[in-house]
Amino acid sequence: MSVNSDVTVLKEARVSFCGSAAVLLDAEGPLALATQERIWRLSDKVRQWEGVVDTQPGMNSLLVVVDSRTADLEALAARLRETWPGVPSGRTAGRLIEVGVIYGGEGGQDLPEVAAFHKCAPADIAKLHSGPEYTIFAPGVSPGFGYLFGMDKRLFTPRRKVPVMRALGGGVSIAGIQSNLGKPYVEGTAKEVPTGWYMIGRAPDVPQPFDLDRTPPNLVSLGDRIRFRVDRVEA
Amino acid sequence: MIEILETPPLNTMQDLGRVGYRCHGIGRGGVMDRLALAAGNALLGNDDGEAGLEFQLFPVRLRFTRETAFAVTGAHCEARLAGRRLPPWWATRAQAGDELVLSSPRKGMRAYLTIAGGFDVPQVLGSRSTHARDSFGGFHGRPLLAGDVLGNRAHAPFVFRDSAGVGATPAEEAVPAAPCEDLADGETVVRAIRAAEFDSFDEASQTALCRTPWKVTARSNRQGYALSGTPLRRNALLEMRSHAIVPGVIQVPPSGQPLIQLAEANSAGGYPKIGVVIEADLWRIGQLPPGATLRFVLCSLQEARAAEQASDAYLASLRRLAGYCRKAAA
Repeated sequence: MSVNSDVTVLKEARVSFCGSAAVLLDAEGPLALATQERIWRLSDKVRQWEGVVDTQPGMNSLLVVVDSRTADLEALAARLRETWPGVPSGRTAGRLIEVGVIYGGEGGQDLPEVAAFHKCAPADIAKLHSGPEYTIFAPGVSPGFGYLFGMDKRLFTPRRKVPVMRALGGGVSIAGIQSNLGKPYVEGTAKEVPTGWYMIGRAPDVPQPFDLDRTPPNLVSLGDRIRFRVDRVEA
Repeated sequence: MIEILETPPLNTMQDLGRVGYRCHGIGRGGVMDRLALAAGNALLGNDDGEAGLEFQLFPVRLRFTRETAFAVTGAHCEARLAGRRLPPWWATRAQAGDELVLSSPRKGMRAYLTIAGGFDVPQVLGSRSTHARDSFGGFHGRPLLAGDVLGNRAHAPFVFRDSAGVGATPAEEAVPAAPCEDLADGETVVRAIRAAEFDSFDEASQTALCRTPWKVTARSNRQGYALSGTPLRRNALLEMRSHAIVPGVIQVPPSGQPLIQLAEANSAGGYPKIGVVIEADLWRIGQLPPGATLRFVLCSLQEARAAEQASDAYLASLRRLAGYCRKAAA
């Protein structure tokens, strides 16, 4: 299976309006660390522009939110288009966090299915998954460890067509060419949610990534790295 | 102070939302009907963005433990104060011990209770909105429960010149919706701007977006509304990368049935976007109950700005008129 074959890859960067109060820049080319570094830089830069109230990197993209009352979206879009090509890449040395994972078993119940899909043993999946260092590329759907980049392309596993109910708290999951680390389960919130991702393991000692009693509340930032350690593989 | 005597689940404290925390994956959140909240605040002389209580399930009963100026805006829910019926979009003064009852709306979906001075809860990350998913903000980070006692912050005392209080022309009457040529009775029109993937939809689907009605399904809540209608199809089924999204985005999952992400939307998503409802019309969606019918019209940025100005003008004139109707207490 060829990896990016079914994912949109743009030849040139595209800037589009995202409603009346935001502009979205989709970067050219495939997902890559060098491009993402440029997106982080652009995000920091644009955040200082007049009228901009927030920015959020995505995977290979940047959303710029403005005050809809004062913003000139056309001018902002033009300025983004002009600025993007000149933004350099370059690494901000992120910190490295190691997370112990029990692959398979309870909370990692999809490991056999993933192993079967790749025609190998569950332990091989654990080895492939824990091999590389993952970089936090973009904020996630809610406060947590964000979208991770770095998974071995051989683990490409198409997202489920029909979502299943899974507990995401402290779970390690994969879908497509991405892997996710769930924050610890919070008492009182939904335990299981519908997802198209495959749960391949659990991280019992995963730290709480976002805690308002801490300053700053976030444990990790964009560019930080996560290394998964195989503590055990349960068949 | 206000004591909640009875409330169904999922009623929360909300303001205009949390802006500037997307780096943590925190979207805006806040009320579903920004205009109704701002109007309630304008009637009381509060800042537009002061927090209010968003009621989306009824009946709600509460008691004012001391004299309090308050407003009820949004859905027309037959508010009764100490047994007396209040007109829709009305501000008045409750006496200590008065009970306020809000019943299921005859029109609209969400009602807002605002009080003079605003609610006395701390701002969390710059906002008093309840972030239900991660349990912070608002009143202890959770929906309201019977027995909750909510205080208000100090404010310059005032009286209404007319003891009955003061009302506003409801936004749906004062701020006209966009015209739509083949509109049927009871349909709600919202304007949308073409989004990044608009051109990847086939021509029939691009046409269907605006020329066919969309039913609001039961899978509709503060996070988003699932619509049903003519399935929208893309020319090529390319997977999208995860990207940041905004309230109002009209996503099209593989089923072809659109989802509009709303106030409590995730900060990011991965479905293709055919359009984004403009800020100035989002409140119209927030007032649609399941079963209602929605129509989209595409508009330009210029039209979006004009719509925004119309809402602003409405609020400004309301604020001015309400100001005449209050005077500082001796």
